[in-house]
Amino acid sequence: MKNRIKVFRAMHDLTQEALANDLGVTRQTILAIEKGKYDPSLDLAFKIARYFNVSIEEIFIYGETS
Amino acid sequence: MKQNTFYVLAGIVGLIEVGAFWFSVQYLMPFLISAIFIAGVVLLYAAWRRISDRQVDERAVLINQKAGMATFMVFWVIFFATSLGSAVIGLGAPSFPRPPRPSDIGPELLNQSTRQPIDGLGLSNESIRAPDNGLIRLGHFGYLQLALLFLMFFLYVGFRIYYARKYGEWETDEEQD
Repeated sequence: MKNRIKVFRAMHDLTQEALANDLGVTRQTILAIEKGKYDPSLDLAFKIARYFNVSIEEIFIYGETS
Repeated sequence: MKQNTFYVLAGIVGLIEVGAFWFSVQYLMPFLISAIFIAGVVLLYAAWRRISDRQVDERAVLINQKAGMATFMVFWVIFFATSLGSAVIGLGAPSFPRPPRPSDIGPELLNQSTRQPIDGLGLSNESIRAPDNGLIRLGHFGYLQLALLFLMFFLYVGFRIYYARKYGEWETDEEQD
């Protein structure tokens, strides 16, 4: 599943560490999601979307592999 | 409790377990090491729950689950196979006294040319019967079980590394530096 977390992070000037701390996960998890190594749970996906105030579809694109 | 403190505690408990095992062997107290082992596991579990700086998120949980399940599947097959072997030994053991077979008697009690038991030595069947080594075999099965458990430990570590790598544990990027 492709995602645009890195783009949204850049737009908000956030580091992986800062985003991870705010979401209650490890920096390695954010990195793994960005690199497409790990698909987050629905819960975490919604948290990420709400964190950036966008819909989940704007961040995660189903059916594509990065 | 800090995570490093937990590792120190785990090391101390491990040393105590080794000492308890030695003590149990020396004084033939099998229940002692069993009880101390369970107490050690309970203590470590309680300590593990009190770690304050432990960072566990859903990806780490997934990696642990996958590694644990893969290890369990391998363990199930191997342990079932060895248990079947031990069941064959148990079922093959005689359930009633029987006279000794030539193979049960030491070579010094056999006629070297006929390979038959030597008569006329004044030995009754009781005195020349080979000792029942069922308990010895049971002890050997314990060694096998311990070896299997250690194998599973290393297998778990292997699976843990495999799944951690699969889910990006050691990925690096420009933020790494």
